[in-house]
Amino acid sequence: MATQQLTCGNADCNLASDGKCVEGYEIGECPHTESLSLEDIPEAEESSTPLVQPETTIALASGEALEREDASVLQRRNVSRSIGLIGPNDAGKTSLIAGVFDLFQVGALAGAQFAGSSTLIGFERVCHLARVASQISVPHTERTSRGAEPTFFHLDVHQEQNGLISVFISDRSGEDYLAVNDQISQADHFFEIRRADCITLLVNGAQLADSKLRHEVKATTPQIVDALIEAGAIRKGCRLAIVLTKKDSVMASTNRERVERDFNGLVASISRAHAASLGEVKSFVVAASPKETEHVTKGEGVADLLLYWLQPNLPVASISDGELPKFERMIDLLTDTGAGK
Amino acid sequence: MTGERHISIIGLPSSGKTTFLAALWHMVREAGANTELSFDQLSEGNYEHLNALAKRWRFGLIQQRTQVSGARAVTMRLKDTDGRKAEVSFPDLPGEDFSQMWERRELDKGMLETLKAPLLVLMINGDTIKMPAWVAEWTTLAKRIGSKPATKEIVDWKAEVSPTQVKVVDLLQMLMSGDLKIGGRRLALLISAWDEVEGEGQTPAQVLQSKLPLLSQYLQSGRDPWTWQVWGISAQGGQYEDPDKDENFAETERLRDLERASDRIKVVEEACVSSDITKPLKWLIG
Repeated sequence: MATQQLTCGNADCNLASDGKCVEGYEIGECPHTESLSLEDIPEAEESSTPLVQPETTIALASGEALEREDASVLQRRNVSRSIGLIGPNDAGKTSLIAGVFDLFQVGALAGAQFAGSSTLIGFERVCHLARVASQISVPHTERTSRGAEPTFFHLDVHQEQNGLISVFISDRSGEDYLAVNDQISQADHFFEIRRADCITLLVNGAQLADSKLRHEVKATTPQIVDALIEAGAIRKGCRLAIVLTKKDSVMASTNRERVERDFNGLVASISRAHAASLGEVKSFVVAASPKETEHVTKGEGVADLLLYWLQPNLPVASISDGELPKFERMIDLLTDTGAGK
Repeated sequence: MTGERHISIIGLPSSGKTTFLAALWHMVREAGANTELSFDQLSEGNYEHLNALAKRWRFGLIQQRTQVSGARAVTMRLKDTDGRKAEVSFPDLPGEDFSQMWERRELDKGMLETLKAPLLVLMINGDTIKMPAWVAEWTTLAKRIGSKPATKEIVDWKAEVSPTQVKVVDLLQMLMSGDLKIGGRRLALLISAWDEVEGEGQTPAQVLQSKLPLLSQYLQSGRDPWTWQVWGISAQGGQYEDPDKDENFAETERLRDLERASDRIKVVEEACVSSDITKPLKWLIG
């Protein structure tokens, strides 16, 4: 039970301290008296500064894929190349990122040596579902979340002739890139594309080999490039690598020749449409993370793509308006089994 | 070569750090041993830990796991063949501290001084290197031999499942950045359990390139200022016994039969083979 103490509203009365009413009333009869409950006494505020336990550990860099600001800081450290990976969902963006890193796990790529990375945890995470340690039966890669800010995978690569180059590969959901076909203003958010030295457009080889899906791939893939260029998201003179992914699925398909024709047509149409905007268009065929290695070698074509990423951009002045950018026929790349590399 | 030199021994769990210390302490004190560095004198320090390690090593018994709480600092006063002296300190850190840096992305503050040593011995157990293996290649191989892989529950990713070379590269990168960055350092890379590796007929540099290619590329690229050299080392010479399991091996008995206990040690540098376990340290100290 709370105890009560009498106080007086008259500022001259000392009732609370001496128990006497300054106006001579009996206690309890004075109209100015008020009872003061313990509940009325405000509790002492807890110290606003919590007790701080001394830190016994130092936090180390997370090793995860980088956010925009962290990537920007690292980009100023060395000569760098920004790679904007674009393509619909399931085109194989994350598999390609994992495939590049996994190839370095077995040796240098065509004279390009692994020199370090601040995103080793991120790489290991995306590589896991293609590794035996995951106990998975068919290689798989987690899909990048729709609507999330892009992240950047970082690789330092050393070449005898060019020295050290930092490569930053962006990873954003394919659904986000497809959304630009519905609303061009979506491209305003793609800062990773605006800053890219080389845009890498992925074309899903498995879907191109599928009769039901091929026309959708042929229609929507160039539309992404059209929209990005129209929105001014791709800077003038930027190189474009068009990459047919999942070569293992193409090689296993009975529609292999048709895939070659479709892909060649797709590359030619993009080249024709955007000759004035792009620095160079080059095509590649890769098997970054194949389901089996019966018809392809693991990582086939990836080293060539990496070397292309490492190249500097052409000066914008050297791009002549109206002249078609260079591109190669895909038939040679598809028939190249990678032997001898 | 004068004054005090701090050498830190780093490596993942079971990489052979403690066995190396045990064999080193035995050898520098062994009468008549012909080594590039030799024992000079006892200082005021406590040698109980080192003596206990060397005793187990001489018995042919495996070392107990280094206690998981913090470092035991051990110091040796050594001199080279010209009589120049150096006091070399080796903190005996548990390997779990290094795995924690990779897995939990944190560093115990107590390790800071140790990890800022300008001279480092990095030990990698050549017999337990975990290399990446890919499902695609295993699937194709299984098909060729007509075997159907068993369906198993998918294992979620954990940092600990990563290949050895990725963990080691990240450890070395950490030593060259943030609070641990001190500039250029010397690194003696010792591939331990060499007796288990040498059967493949490769030199230590070849083993580095074939079994740890990512680490080999990282070091060769020179992005970070490491001055490094690689050795193969067998600090035991063969299999030791675990007294807790009441083991009794003929191989251990053979090692005990050698004329000198230090004859068990094998240090390989390219084509040059010796039993001088101090060679990497002499290279570090200069």
